[in-house]
Amino acid sequence: MTRKNRRTATLAVLPMYLFSLVFIAGPLVYMLVLSFMTRDTFGFTDTFTLENYRKIFDEVYFKTFLESLKLAAVSTAAVILIGYPFGLSAALLPPKYAKFFRTAQMIPYFVNSLLRLVGWIILFRANGLLDKVLMALGITDEPLKLLYTYPAVVVGMIYVLLPFMFLSVYQVAEKLDLTLVEAARDLGAGKVRAFLSVTLPLTMPGLKTGIILTFIPSMGLFFIASILGGNKVVLIGSLIEEQLMRAHNQPFAAALSVVLMLLTGVVCGLLMKKRRDV
Amino acid sequence: MKKLALILASLMLTSTLTACGGSDVGKNGTLNLFTWEGMFPEEVLTEFEETTGIDINYVNFDYDETMLMKLQAAEGGDYDLIIADDYIIETAIAEGLVQKLDKTKIPSIGNVNPLYQGQFYDPTDEYTVPYGAGVQTIVYNPANVTTPIEGYADLWNSALADSVGIISNYRVINGMALKVLGKSYNTTETADITAAGTKLNELAPNIRLIKDDYIQDDLLSGEIDAAVMYTSQVTMAKMTDPSLEIVYPEEGIGFGIMAMFVPSKAPNADAAHKFIEFILDPERGAKCYEYLGYYCTASASEPYIAEEYRSFLTLPAEFSRDNMEMIENITPEADDAHIAVWTEFKGLCE
Repeated sequence: MTRKNRRTATLAVLPMYLFSLVFIAGPLVYMLVLSFMTRDTFGFTDTFTLENYRKIFDEVYFKTFLESLKLAAVSTAAVILIGYPFGLSAALLPPKYAKFFRTAQMIPYFVNSLLRLVGWIILFRANGLLDKVLMALGITDEPLKLLYTYPAVVVGMIYVLLPFMFLSVYQVAEKLDLTLVEAARDLGAGKVRAFLSVTLPLTMPGLKTGIILTFIPSMGLFFIASILGGNKVVLIGSLIEEQLMRAHNQPFAAALSVVLMLLTGVVCGLLMKKRRDV
Repeated sequence: MKKLALILASLMLTSTLTACGGSDVGKNGTLNLFTWEGMFPEEVLTEFEETTGIDINYVNFDYDETMLMKLQAAEGGDYDLIIADDYIIETAIAEGLVQKLDKTKIPSIGNVNPLYQGQFYDPTDEYTVPYGAGVQTIVYNPANVTTPIEGYADLWNSALADSVGIISNYRVINGMALKVLGKSYNTTETADITAAGTKLNELAPNIRLIKDDYIQDDLLSGEIDAAVMYTSQVTMAKMTDPSLEIVYPEEGIGFGIMAMFVPSKAPNADAAHKFIEFILDPERGAKCYEYLGYYCTASASEPYIAEEYRSFLTLPAEFSRDNMEMIENITPEADDAHIAVWTEFKGLCE
């Protein structure tokens, strides 16, 4: 690279660099500093304390981390079970159909997911559309209680996160060289063996990207639990929001956020590391 | 971002209003009104602009806390009139962000119901004029609830398993348990708050949902049979289904007041006083409260409230300061205890 080119490149990158510094690194540093402050009735004072971090280990708050991890794990597992086979088989279809499935996955995302979930409430609430149809057909006698339950939250998570897995797997599977699978079969591998030793390793990068794209957001997606779960599943995200907007405890909210970021950072790092090993 | 869009939209709206409202509107300056969305009927705002020639710049906030942050950033300037909740006003006054009202400019101040005056956030009524009050009530559907509900304690009845909805306000909900135990909403004894938590945990099996927005829809649809909700929601529920029962809990009722105040460095404090006086007009006030759906805080307006609304926009006569209690600011320690109780309770509702 010539010196002139390098200067042009630096100038081109500079605005983005400054932007990240001011609007991403800045708030993060502020958050970190804030997490060591002491709360006041409405704001905080700059007395150094570790109390905010100690409090996270109180059973009641620690449980929300476990609850979030549990929901993220359950949702990610379900998304893998549904999304992987779907993405793989869609990619192996003739291009015309493959494109159709890919587009069909994306179309709902033209509408904000919050709005779509509110739509779900209208469909599934007591005496809602589904209940009316089922009762009119004589299949049920009384309204089903579908909403505001744990399964409702998991289904909502799967619904919102599935396309991330589908698209990640689809993109890798699209480039899958099918002759390799055929070669494995010719050499005497059964269907299962060929899948495990050829297809799965070759599509693994897509699966891992899918897991990152599913697991990380699912740690923070608390609006699904509030809308479909009636706020009864207490996640770390909702706890942070409540500390900030209602309890006026900004330092504790900051400490919770720092720990959440570390936690997702570690999970993300582990997945990335393994990915390099492959 | 949403807030910015709202501000831009309201700026655009007011400039359009100025543009098509002829020469009268806006000639006497602008009133920067800062409050939640939907606090006044459009016709009342237009009438004010037309009769006074003062242009209204209606700016929204979503939470009291956002309002306070913006007012702090503006150092008591930028806005002429703010309407917000009692507890946040106490802080705003303490921080010197509010100016004393010039009562000579508000001759109709006597129209205010004294029940809502002299409260903790403004004990001598120097800074605020109330505009609407919320009373925590239980609403239930008598078609599905067979044992009558008379107080908070009845919500613990196992007959209501998985069929109660509550708002997501921990001071109100923990407060129910405090009331059942005969304590004050505002106790700062952490032992009392923890005891209330133990009591509240027993309510968990009955809770079907916890939410602030549109909880009345769940009562109307039959998702829940009983609910503890905000006054505006009670009004909406009752308007849709008059057969619903409203209960003023026998343990005593809690309430909150929204009040108007003028920031310390309001650019147009005169317009703010004119607006307060305008809203205190009995007939016009009645129109506002009917639209707002909160309890009417102006006695003079009560007779003008339409019959169909009066039963739930005015408090029954038997209520006095003795059996009502406001939710006030408490110490950080007590507040932390509340949050711990509330978080544990929510986890148990699952």
